[in-house]
Amino acid sequence: MAIMSFIFVFFFFSSLQPILSLYEDQVGLMDWHQQYIGKVKQAVFHTHKTGRKRVVASTEQNIIATLDLRSGEIFWRHVLGPNDVVDGIDIALGKYVITLSSGGSILRAWNLPDGQMVWESSLHGPKHSKSLLLTTNLIIEKDNSLIVFSNGRLNAVSCIDGEVLWKKDFEEESLEVQQVIQPPGSDFIYVVGFAASSQFETYKINAKNGELLKHESTAFSDRFSGEVSLVSSETVAALDSTGSILLTISFHNGKISSQQIPVSNLLEDSPGLAVIIHSSVTGIFAIKTDAATIFIRVIGEGKLEVVEKTNHETVVSDALTISEGQQAFALVQHAGSNIHLTVKPAHDWDSNLLKESIKMDQQRGFVHKVFINNYIRTDRSHGFRALIVMEDHSLLLLQQGAIVWSREDGLASIIDVTTSELPVEKAGVSVAKVELNLFEWLKGHVLKLKGTLMLATPEDIAAIQYMRLKSSEKSKMTRDHNGFRKLLIALTRAGKLFALHTGDGRIVWSHLLQSLHKSESCRQPIGLNLHQWQVPHHHALDENPSVLVVGRCGPSSDALGVLSLVDSYTGKEFSSLRLVHSVAQVIPLPYTDSTEQRLHLLIDADKHAHLYPKTPEAIDIFQSEFANVYWYSVDDDNGIIKGYALKTKCSGNVADEFCFDSRELWSIVLPSESEKIITTATRKLNEAVHTQAKLIADQDVMYKYISSNLLFVATVAPKASGEIGSVTPEESWLVVYLIDTVTGRVLHRMTHHGSQGPVQAVLSENWVVYHYFNLRAHRYEMSVIEIYDQSRADNKDVWKLVVGNHNLTSPVSSYSRAEVITKSQSYFFTHSLKAIAVTLTVKGITSKQLLIGTIGDQVLALDKRFLDPRRSVNPTQAEREEGIIPLTDSLPIIPQSYITHSLRVEGLQSIITVAAKLESTTLVFAHGLDLFFTHYAPSRTYDSLTEDFSYALLLITIVALVAAIFVTWILSQRKELQDRWR
Amino acid sequence: MAFSCKNSSKFNGFSSCIKMVMVGTSAIMMQQRTLAMEASLCVKKSKKKGADSVTRPNSQISAAMAAVTPLLLLLLLSSAPSFSSGSRNAYNINGRVKIPQGLGLGTKGYALPGRMSNVKVLLNGGQNITFLRPDGYFSFHNIPAGTHLIEVSAIGYFFSPVRVDVSARNPGKVQAALTENRKGLSELVLEPLREEQYYEIREPFSIMSLLKSPMGLMVGFMLAVAFLMPKLVENMDPEEMRRAQEEMRSQGVPSLSSLLPGGARN
Repeated sequence: MAIMSFIFVFFFFSSLQPILSLYEDQVGLMDWHQQYIGKVKQAVFHTHKTGRKRVVASTEQNIIATLDLRSGEIFWRHVLGPNDVVDGIDIALGKYVITLSSGGSILRAWNLPDGQMVWESSLHGPKHSKSLLLTTNLIIEKDNSLIVFSNGRLNAVSCIDGEVLWKKDFEEESLEVQQVIQPPGSDFIYVVGFAASSQFETYKINAKNGELLKHESTAFSDRFSGEVSLVSSETVAALDSTGSILLTISFHNGKISSQQIPVSNLLEDSPGLAVIIHSSVTGIFAIKTDAATIFIRVIGEGKLEVVEKTNHETVVSDALTISEGQQAFALVQHAGSNIHLTVKPAHDWDSNLLKESIKMDQQRGFVHKVFINNYIRTDRSHGFRALIVMEDHSLLLLQQGAIVWSREDGLASIIDVTTSELPVEKAGVSVAKVELNLFEWLKGHVLKLKGTLMLATPEDIAAIQYMRLKSSEKSKMTRDHNGFRKLLIALTRAGKLFALHTGDGRIVWSHLLQSLHKSESCRQPIGLNLHQWQVPHHHALDENPSVLVVGRCGPSSDALGVLSLVDSYTGKEFSSLRLVHSVAQVIPLPYTDSTEQRLHLLIDADKHAHLYPKTPEAIDIFQSEFANVYWYSVDDDNGIIKGYALKTKCSGNVADEFCFDSRELWSIVLPSESEKIITTATRKLNEAVHTQAKLIADQDVMYKYISSNLLFVATVAPKASGEIGSVTPEESWLVVYLIDTVTGRVLHRMTHHGSQGPVQAVLSENWVVYHYFNLRAHRYEMSVIEIYDQSRADNKDVWKLVVGNHNLTSPVSSYSRAEVITKSQSYFFTHSLKAIAVTLTVKGITSKQLLIGTIGDQVLALDKRFLDPRRSVNPTQAEREEGIIPLTDSLPIIPQSYITHSLRVEGLQSIITVAAKLESTTLVFAHGLDLFFTHYAPSRTYDSLTEDFSYALLLITIVALVAAIFVTWILSQRKELQDRWR
Repeated sequence: MAFSCKNSSKFNGFSSCIKMVMVGTSAIMMQQRTLAMEASLCVKKSKKKGADSVTRPNSQISAAMAAVTPLLLLLLLSSAPSFSSGSRNAYNINGRVKIPQGLGLGTKGYALPGRMSNVKVLLNGGQNITFLRPDGYFSFHNIPAGTHLIEVSAIGYFFSPVRVDVSARNPGKVQAALTENRKGLSELVLEPLREEQYYEIREPFSIMSLLKSPMGLMVGFMLAVAFLMPKLVENMDPEEMRRAQEEMRSQGVPSLSSLLPGGARN
């Protein structure tokens, strides 16, 4: 029995063994990963064959993806380069996805089932032009061929291997090719375009060999306005540059004939400037004016007829051939909270093939695009499904009057993220209800125990995994003890705010912001950033926390700003403001008012400071701290860094007591011929530093120079600001500065010769780590600078402390002239970087690790101890004890320390770290096209039991021990009794 | 002239190379000697190695034209600056990523059937991205002369970045070296340096590993004391035993006070 109990004790401790990283079966316990594709630009259905039905989509984020048509899941997806914009996609031979990208210069074919690239062709041409992709059924030299027009050249490309079969240049300087048309069933191609904007040109080309059969051109008196709409295979409709005259041009058999009709003839009222909507429906085209969308039918020789005029947002799909010679197209219109989907045959406007009304979430905004596809119902009639792209970039599949699936692809373009606490658990709600009964609980733990002892059967393992993932604990909507459960609030480029639960990544609420909605006064609204507006903890606990969304109406920095305040529990936008000034910078101040609203200072383009919230209380609080507010601005283009302080109330003609003038305190002007600012980095405002002193070997102390006003600036030679390899090492250099932003003092300056950007940097405590390219070694390098305060260094004299002759109690001020010393070291690093961050814990006691977003879209954790400037090749015994790692020339990459393990966060943009309440743990959120969230403990979870901890084992051990005590007690008593009797 | 443009646009591995040879030979018949040499050189390279040929598509156009009339050459040279420099300095980098079968992924979860399709090749920190063909070949088009860095991103493998020098003086020449270990590559065939294992491996349960751990040693020692000591005591001579007990009694029971430095003085 005793042995048993020992073994149990022993198991119990063995399960406490710390884990270095993740076991494979722990995937999904702490982390979640979501994949997105972005806003769909073009979609092609693949539903002909039996088997899985797919849709191929290209997006504005340069992605090509195939989705399952039943569920919307991604089969495969490829992220093309940032300059590799997709111009067109199509499916060829029923098995290849063809993409034309990079301004029509790269043509690729992908295998439809698995996404393997089959071939790639590079197409060149004499000049830049529109790129058009046309799949045909033409067979040239036994190969099925594609017709591609790009860069002023028409190419016929084989579908099988991407070989160019023939090509024809259109070198005429002013020719703008608008359309490439292949009339069905023919073996010639029309190339239609404008020359010198007023001449209409058609080229008839033999599709077999590229031979020019006929060339016709006609001059028009008006100039054309770009776009044309194809009405039939031999007729196009165009508008003149004033947008008031409609032209229908037919080029039957190469003979050009045209009709001109003023738009105002078709409509009673004057419509203003009209534009042609691109569509491919035979016989019908659409023009859009400010007020309405007008559908016009072409009847016979140049006669036009208005078939419908709609006043609300209407979206038209491309034509779909449903049967021999019959085309259909879809129209989507909004009506209140419903959308109406109508499918009409092309030849008959008045009849409908389908008319459905679908209730649509208001938070998705308007429909932006629609793609349709048909299927044959069991009764041999045509059924239609429609894929719609909404204003918030989400993608929905509609079929039979219902939404089959939806994808929140707006999350592929997150601009900024902040976090919010969840509500405190109410006393009335019992936790026990959620929990299982004791027996099941124990059973679960016994299963877990079996798992750790590797005794579990596959079914058991599956049960364990299910149990772990289904743990109700992690996705509850209340605050938890460890601070793991939070809301991640993300602002997307579409102007929508999402709240994601950190437990399982589900969307708690989403809200399309009114302030970032397109309107008359704000034509191009863009979101800028998010700030925590109100975080109640002490005074205003009954208030919900809220976030501030800052945006502006237009891309330039002097566009007017917009603000929104959103409740972070419900997602309600309770206040929305259009500002009368621009927003260049937002400074959250460290002061809150009585309702715990944080004071924010908005700096406009003219360097006026505006205080928010606009309450008398805020101004009172602000007045007392008026002299302590400093800020800086970095002007990348001119290489000027300036520091400011507040001066007086605004002297403008409008009396605004919340507006303040600023005065310039200092400026650093970098010589523009030798230095160009490429990166700046500052400390996180909420970073906690636990200790100011650093104990080093031989009982010595170094004092960290900790200042929240530290700014890291990296500049490169202007020549070297381009891509890698464009300069020689001799003419490139990288200069880094550490600047105090209150006084403008340059604390440290260092030059790396023969190095260039891009630079990624992170500043934390008293150190900065940055990543750059070393041209001489032709490798990436990472450098660390640590900065120490020398003026406190003599405090280590005990006698001085005793006598009281020390300056430890003197206030730390930027104005006191600090004597700083810096230490620096550089190491090679293998990969390019996309992002860099540092772990953040609540009290800053836990040692730090760097989180490095590599070029392969993985996130690597690297201990800060590898970037310690005191590393040397042969550390002394004392230094070894302190934990100094012997110096190596490059930083190690340990595959187990990839926190994204075998996942990729495609298109990684930034890594956000949030402190949990548990000191050992950081919450890490990485976003790009994909989202990834995990808990990370840089020094392992020393302050809590791991997920693996088996309570069952502990209980069994205790029971066994108690039993053993009893048994031995009885045995000993019996023995004693026997002894006495003897 | 037409054929040289054709050359530039295909790097589809071997099948097209054969076609290229045919085109090349017809070119020899048609064109002058210099041009034919250049064309066949390019073809040979891509046929034999298929990997490290850096060709200069547009330079061949000019070469072809130059070959036709020397007069035109003069014209071309004089008008060279007016040509867009982008097209004149555009080169192609072709290479191959080879994942040896020996480094089989075995039982790991990320061994997906089409895993070659998840490999990306990145030029200069993601400025250009390309993908692999089924046979592992990749190419970058329209790359200016200079020194470039190629990185391979493949889940499960560690690839060293490769420094590639594209020479402007002698087109068709490529120099490549792994930056991790400074090893030169004679042809641009990239192989992973090692596999990457992202998960800790659970040790299967074994008695030995239990016993070897510090806890196991402690338990072992305690067990030994608990079971062996009484046996030892039993085997002792009773006389000796009594003597030892008396000795202990005379010394007194070691108390806490005797352990303290102050207590020792008593």
